[in-house]
Amino acid sequence: MITANINGIPVHVRKGTSILEAARKININIPALCKHPDLDATAACGICVVKNNGGGKLLRSCCTPLEAGMNIVTHDDELQEIRKTVLELILSNHPEDCLQCARNNNCELQKMAADFGIRSNPLHRINKGIAPDISTKSINLVPDKCILCGRCINVCQNIQNVWALSFLERGIKTRISAAGDINLADSPCIKCGQCSAHCPTGAIAEYDETSRTWKALYDTEKYCVVQIAPAVRVAIGEAFGYPEGENLTGKLYAALRKLGFKAVFDTSFGADLTVMEEATEFAQRFVNKTGPLPLITSCCPSWVDFMEKYYSDMIEHFSTAKSPQSMVGVLSKTYYAQENKIDPAKMFMVSVMPCTAKKYEITRSEDMFASGYQDIDVSLTTRELARMIKQAGINFEGLPAEEPDHILGDYTGAGVIFGATGGVMEAALRTAHFFVTGENAGIMDFESVRGLKGVKETTVDIAGNKIKVAIAHGIGNVEYVLNKIQQARDEKKELPYHFVEVMACPGGCVGGGGQPYGVTDRLRVSRAKGLYLDDIKQDYHYAHENPYIKKVYDDFLGKPLSEKSHKLLHTVYTPRPLYRR
Amino acid sequence: MKLILLKDTDGKKEEAVFQEKILAEMKKENVQGKWQVVRVADMGIYNKGVAVKILPEGFTYTGLSLDDIPALVRTSIKEGRELGEKSYGLKDKQVKIVLRNCGRIDPENIESYLESGGYQGLKKVLLELKPEQAIEELKESGLRGRGGGGFPVWMKWQFARKPESAEKFIICNGDEGDPGAYMDRSVLEGDPHSVLEGMLTAGYLVGANKGYFYIRAEYPLAITRVQNAVEQARAYGLLGENILGSGFSFEVDIRLGAGAFVCGEETALIASVEGKRGYPSPRPPYPSVKGLWGKPTVINNVETLANIPVVFSRGGKWFSSIGSPTAKGTKVFALTGKIKNSGLVEVPMGITLREIIYDIGGGMLNSYDIKAVQTGGPSGGVISREYLDTPVDYENLQKLGSIMGSGGMIVIDESDCMVDLAKFYMNFCVDESCGKCAPCRIGTTQMLEYLDSVSKGKAREDDLPRLKKVAMAVKKASLCGLGQTSPNPVLSTLRYFEEEYLEHIREGKCRAGKCKDLLQYSILQDQCRKCGLCYRNCPVNAITGNNKQGYIIEREKCIKCGNCFDVCKFEAISRG
Amino acid sequence: MAKLTRSKLEEYGKKAPAKAGRALVRVGMSTCGIAAGAEEVYEALKGAVAQRNLDVDVRKCGCNGKCYAEPLVEVVSGGLPAVLYGKVDKRLALDIIDKHVINGELLNDHIYGIDEGKGE
Repeated sequence: MITANINGIPVHVRKGTSILEAARKININIPALCKHPDLDATAACGICVVKNNGGGKLLRSCCTPLEAGMNIVTHDDELQEIRKTVLELILSNHPEDCLQCARNNNCELQKMAADFGIRSNPLHRINKGIAPDISTKSINLVPDKCILCGRCINVCQNIQNVWALSFLERGIKTRISAAGDINLADSPCIKCGQCSAHCPTGAIAEYDETSRTWKALYDTEKYCVVQIAPAVRVAIGEAFGYPEGENLTGKLYAALRKLGFKAVFDTSFGADLTVMEEATEFAQRFVNKTGPLPLITSCCPSWVDFMEKYYSDMIEHFSTAKSPQSMVGVLSKTYYAQENKIDPAKMFMVSVMPCTAKKYEITRSEDMFASGYQDIDVSLTTRELARMIKQAGINFEGLPAEEPDHILGDYTGAGVIFGATGGVMEAALRTAHFFVTGENAGIMDFESVRGLKGVKETTVDIAGNKIKVAIAHGIGNVEYVLNKIQQARDEKKELPYHFVEVMACPGGCVGGGGQPYGVTDRLRVSRAKGLYLDDIKQDYHYAHENPYIKKVYDDFLGKPLSEKSHKLLHTVYTPRPLYRR
Repeated sequence: MKLILLKDTDGKKEEAVFQEKILAEMKKENVQGKWQVVRVADMGIYNKGVAVKILPEGFTYTGLSLDDIPALVRTSIKEGRELGEKSYGLKDKQVKIVLRNCGRIDPENIESYLESGGYQGLKKVLLELKPEQAIEELKESGLRGRGGGGFPVWMKWQFARKPESAEKFIICNGDEGDPGAYMDRSVLEGDPHSVLEGMLTAGYLVGANKGYFYIRAEYPLAITRVQNAVEQARAYGLLGENILGSGFSFEVDIRLGAGAFVCGEETALIASVEGKRGYPSPRPPYPSVKGLWGKPTVINNVETLANIPVVFSRGGKWFSSIGSPTAKGTKVFALTGKIKNSGLVEVPMGITLREIIYDIGGGMLNSYDIKAVQTGGPSGGVISREYLDTPVDYENLQKLGSIMGSGGMIVIDESDCMVDLAKFYMNFCVDESCGKCAPCRIGTTQMLEYLDSVSKGKAREDDLPRLKKVAMAVKKASLCGLGQTSPNPVLSTLRYFEEEYLEHIREGKCRAGKCKDLLQYSILQDQCRKCGLCYRNCPVNAITGNNKQGYIIEREKCIKCGNCFDVCKFEAISRG
Repeated sequence: MAKLTRSKLEEYGKKAPAKAGRALVRVGMSTCGIAAGAEEVYEALKGAVAQRNLDVDVRKCGCNGKCYAEPLVEVVSGGLPAVLYGKVDKRLALDIIDKHVINGELLNDHIYGIDEGKGE
């Protein structure tokens, strides 16, 4: 511990604490634009400067550790003037088109300009004039709005280990782009959207599909149905002023109906179904040795994309089960349409996801057209849905809770925890345990798979079988797990794991790239907590106990891994080049 | 053999007359023995009239008239005595430590370096001194970094020496990028072994076994010669395992810089060596604690390292006897601009700017008066002529709003415009800003915009305080040294020459005639002799007319190149 | 090549500056010199020495700082101090050999420095 003074107030902090952090502990907020609470400082904006011992060189509080005996001043007339000038500089190189911006009302730069009371800018306008990159149809890159804080690149390279984004050129021409100045779609980008989740401005945002959705909703010929992913329910409240992690499932169903959807499904049902297929697959590989272990989960489209690009030698380890989104999609245009005598050609399936990569997943291969039509027509992010609810003039707070439409809407606690890291593993193990032993395990037995630790490794006992599992979230954490598998495989050693879960986004889908802006670890934990509370609240906690799951198998699919299941609920993977150019 | 050298140091070309007179007088005096009377092109004496130097005695006389010759011949040549009256007492003011071998030894041959005392300093450190003693010696020498900051070298080495680490690194910073500065290139090309010896010494004292030469790719010859030196040193066992039986092992590699100015900044340089984008990173941690690959790393520039062998071969005490109280040893300057003898000069710290410019540089190139001196490249600033008698060292230059920097020194005369000069450097800073941090990236562009509008006569008076405000923000809030110093050209020209800015703004006038947008050329008809020289020299045919009716300049076509103004022999072109 | 030993290095240290038994001609061959035409001058000097069958050591060296007078050629010969010629071209190079090196006769108007310390 060290002791120093900030604005005359003594402060005691752990050695290595930044001045910015230390100041926050005594309720002094030093303005900073580029620093993200969870990321290493990039020291790019120059706004957080402070003085030590009355002058000399200014220190950047974001990246300078507080040292014993320092005498820091965070605010005085000179510092205020410098900060304001730097802010004016940044604004002079920014389009300032807040009214037409994806981040209007939710932008860190806009907020700071408001806080500083910027009313005019005497500086010259320096326009960038760089064309946006909308090639992925998942994430839009708008370099004109970029303040070059470097968070997205830090996340893309260091947290996600994807290395799609990079700075190009230098000086005033510096810009973010796919490395090599190619389209993002031709780059190794996995569409996870973590860049957009960490962007302070509107420089990276989701590809907006709300117009297409409105058009379908107002088209009397169309029969619009919708599904919402687990993680959406605990995050959308942030757009309406609810406390962090509040579960708003019932209101969401109601709002979706008000928007004009004729049937409201829940992706958590698809998650239950995924568990059935995947747990069966696992049990078969584990017991009957029908395929190689470890089995690796495949619900996350960014992870699938990453694996196909970077680790295609792992394809045989991948579960062939489609993601919950895809399962609900294909069943709505087959089973549901059949049961309710709806022409699937007229059906318009919208998914609401915490995710930007789901926009990519819905057309990623011909398996996504298993119903004979495009199974899911549009995938929206949580953010897009929040905007639509507001546009529609729906008083979200005043809505009574409603129920989902049955068969594809009812879910168990196992399905809903898919939205948090470790959730897929936990849900699958609950059912795998049953498949192997014929008995349900206690829910709490799987606690060790929860939480934000980058790689969670544990061993689960199922009827005397020690099942070694690993859970990684944030692609940067995957390398460790995969290297262990590859090494064991190459050296023909004992398997390090039997079952591996990967989610591309830190924290899992609750921290997805399509969730409301401003994600931090604290928020990830709150949202995950909302999902685990939902699990407790449910009547059923095991996918195999979901009566509607049973019904779908009885009525339509037969049993897990049946021929029909294979046709509709499974997919194949192909190696893909890192760069398409 | 007696040599009688002569030179008209005023440039009036009187040598031949004096040569004849001397020869005639010698004949008259019947001077015996072997001698030669030679007209030289440069005697190292400037603007002192006709000068004569007699060797081997070394008698030197200046300001001679033909009437002085008989006495001179009789006394100094025939009788070998010094003639008091016109004797010139000044000695060569250059002291060559860094450049001691440049131009003398064969840089491609290690033998040549060894024969001139090479690797003796290393031998002393490796085999005769304890590391603590060696560091003490370095401390006593007072050597400070020559790359810009002037940080004491012993301290830097001590910081890197302290931490326990299996790996440590030495980096030679040869990414010289200031416009007009090329001393590092010259040393690498002319004496690569002295730099290598410096690195080896650093490696041993710090506990590093690996060094990197970081040389900009635009220096192909330097790269070749360093490569060659490394190979020869390896063959001689001066690189590799167990050097000179001391148990110390060291290897070096060469890394090429791709031409980004910012990569001269040590943290950006490290990023570049690691194969990353050349972005600076915040300090602390300093490279001496956490540098290349996260390991303790010493980065010194070429000139600093070339000093090291001499510090040890001649001793710290000797070294510290040269220079000023706060800065020891010498500094190499690349002297350019409106100066007669442009080139590299090596002078003891503490010498005045005036001595460098007039006694070594030979004074002004043209008839214009000196206006200022620019030092330190784009990170430096201008020093107006009132301060020519300031002793040159780190602190003094900084007090005057400039810096020592890597040693660029550009002489500016009355035909140079200070706004234009500031614009030149700001253009450089805009081009070379790495783009990482907002104050430098956007601030330099904003400053350039202001300068541009001043030079075009489009600025308003209240733009100057705005320009200063931006300059201060960039200076204070930028991350790295380059950003922090990038406003210096603006701040220092404003400090000494604000009235020139105001002239541009208020009167739309550029007194030096450099800001083209403010110029109008026209032909003064009463002065014009209709010779047609301007007509023939105009590159865009903007001058029309003939040798009967005379000529006029068509303003719409004129590109303001100034050719007509320069060629006119009758001062019939007006510019204003 | 044999590795340098401590004692061998000590010998180098004790050696007085080499007495050139033969004439030495140095050509400044750094980038500045080469840009000004030093390569041509170097070749001319080499050629002249070979043609005249002289025992003269023509060597490359670095830049001595007088960049304004490149290409630079320094001659150490015949008991004279080291004489630095500047702005040397091919023609002047031949003169340097024929007059200075062979006859010990210094050339007018081309000398940019005389260093007594560097002679014999």
